[in-house]
Amino acid sequence: MNIPIINIENLQKIYKISQEVSVHALKGVTLKVKRGEFVAIMGASGSGKSTFMNILGFLDTPTSGKYILDGIDGTSLNDNQKAEIRNRKIGFVFQGFNLLSRTPAIENVEMPLFYRGGFTHEEMKNRARKLLAMVGLSGREMHHPNELSGGEQQRVAIARALINDPAILLADEPTGNLDTKNTYEIMNVFTTLNKEYNITIIMVTHEPDVAAYADRKVVFKDGMIIDDSPIRKLKKSRK
Amino acid sequence: MDFTNLLITALRSLSKNKARSILTSIGIIIGVSSVIVMIGIGRSAQITVEERVGTYGKNAMEIASFHTLLTEADAENIKKKFPQVQYASIIITKSNVQVNYKDRSTISGMYGVENDYFKMKLWPLTSGRYFTDIEMSTHEKVVVIGATVMRDVFIYEEPVGNIVIINNVPFKVIGVLSELGESFGGKDFDNVVVIPYGAAQRKIIGNNKIDRIYVSVYSDKQMDETVEQIKEYLNRAHMITSDSNEFRITTSKQKLEMAEYISKTLSMLLAGIASISLFVGGVGIMNIMLVSVSERTREIGIRMAIGAKRRDILSQFLIESVTLSGLGGIVGIILGLVIYYLITYIVDWPYIFSVTSILVSFLFACAVGIFFGYYPAKKAADLKPIEALRYE
Repeated sequence: MNIPIINIENLQKIYKISQEVSVHALKGVTLKVKRGEFVAIMGASGSGKSTFMNILGFLDTPTSGKYILDGIDGTSLNDNQKAEIRNRKIGFVFQGFNLLSRTPAIENVEMPLFYRGGFTHEEMKNRARKLLAMVGLSGREMHHPNELSGGEQQRVAIARALINDPAILLADEPTGNLDTKNTYEIMNVFTTLNKEYNITIIMVTHEPDVAAYADRKVVFKDGMIIDDSPIRKLKKSRK
Repeated sequence: MDFTNLLITALRSLSKNKARSILTSIGIIIGVSSVIVMIGIGRSAQITVEERVGTYGKNAMEIASFHTLLTEADAENIKKKFPQVQYASIIITKSNVQVNYKDRSTISGMYGVENDYFKMKLWPLTSGRYFTDIEMSTHEKVVVIGATVMRDVFIYEEPVGNIVIINNVPFKVIGVLSELGESFGGKDFDNVVVIPYGAAQRKIIGNNKIDRIYVSVYSDKQMDETVEQIKEYLNRAHMITSDSNEFRITTSKQKLEMAEYISKTLSMLLAGIASISLFVGGVGIMNIMLVSVSERTREIGIRMAIGAKRRDILSQFLIESVTLSGLGGIVGIILGLVIYYLITYIVDWPYIFSVTSILVSFLFACAVGIFFGYYPAKKAADLKPIEALRYE
């Protein structure tokens, strides 16, 4: 339990734009996240937080440094292994929801199981139904994304992210496209997942009141972490 | 990802764009149905030709000349001098004669022949008899009619014993021939009146010219040799030295080969058209799949983010294109069989149902899907997950 679920040491990412010009997006980032933590990642655009999230999500590889996720060394994997880890260990929630259009909610949710394989049609449907119920969308299984509100779409995306029992949930500005009411709803879902189901959440946001739902705040600037501190829990004052 | 899941994914994607999927398949549908029609017609035609040439006479040859007149003596001598000759008959033809019976009339082909003609063609009678030797030598006005003539002018009456008027000359019907059917080109073999050649020369044509002599030999192996011998004999008999091609002898084998050549050429032409339309259909699929890949870049990114491997994306798009071409193939096969059936029905050819041609064209359609779907699928699979996700 004391072994961190994410263990990052001196992570560097250099984008080579041409022979002479290269961009140092991450300049040695070290971060440990324990199981069950809810971390908010903040920073201005260009601070390196997106690059960091991509590496965390196995969508990109670091130039150097160490990244261990749930006991798996993430620095020396091929594309297929990375795809498998994305499938099994990571749940993604994006700003733009990224659901497949013209596809019912339940089919969006069960899709990671398709790529994992080994489930019957019935098992996949049952599991997807259960997760939709968990995010409060019972009865909306056959709704297409365009028939759902932004908040509901994001909840479908959360259900999809959770269907393979991932080690971590990566949320990239999950409320960036939502209004206050829906933001509040989604953050409540996150809080519940974190507190009741002990799901580790890493969330990028630049809204301080969204970050306030997390336990810990990590601030990026110029490819480095400049602040890493716990968030004092003010009691939920907003209604 | 197992195959069932891939198939479900591909079918779901295709069903999201039904109209486009159907339109994309049309090229393949046309290509496959023309392959089916072409193979079918090729086979039907070949069988029809073989049957028809078979009735023309086994081991038969036809002697014709350019300037020199063939004579009765030629026909007789050929029969006498060559022991391998089984049958020989003078043939005098006139393509359009008017045949009247009571108030009914029809236009038929006239053949002036000897009795050997019927034996050579293995052409039996349904009623009556052939010519007698006396009728032959006295140029009697007797006629053996074909089945079509009987149907046209006698309808339900018994023809034998009645008098028909051929080009204003009365002939007594002595026999009715069994039905042979139509030729490859649609010529009706049964629309004929057959009379003794002497009667044809004197009563219908009005001169003593002999158009052709039909000869048949006992064995297939004697054909080539006999052709040469008869040519040589005729040249000598007519004292021709300079031009050895004065007499032209065509064998039934040559006719069969010619008919086969024609039907093969026709088949190849159709095969060419069919493969062009399959190719165009394939390019259509490739085009749509490329559009689809760039339209769905984001979807591909999402799929990759939630765990699709390169292989999964490649398979998904390949299955989509193969499904398009395979379904197109099935529809094309059905359409092709219907068209082929209608054609054989209209021209009255045998309908040959070939499982091989159906399987071959289906597999070919699928192969087109794989071939033309591979490049777009590879393009999709080669996308980088982050870039695909960021794509607007």
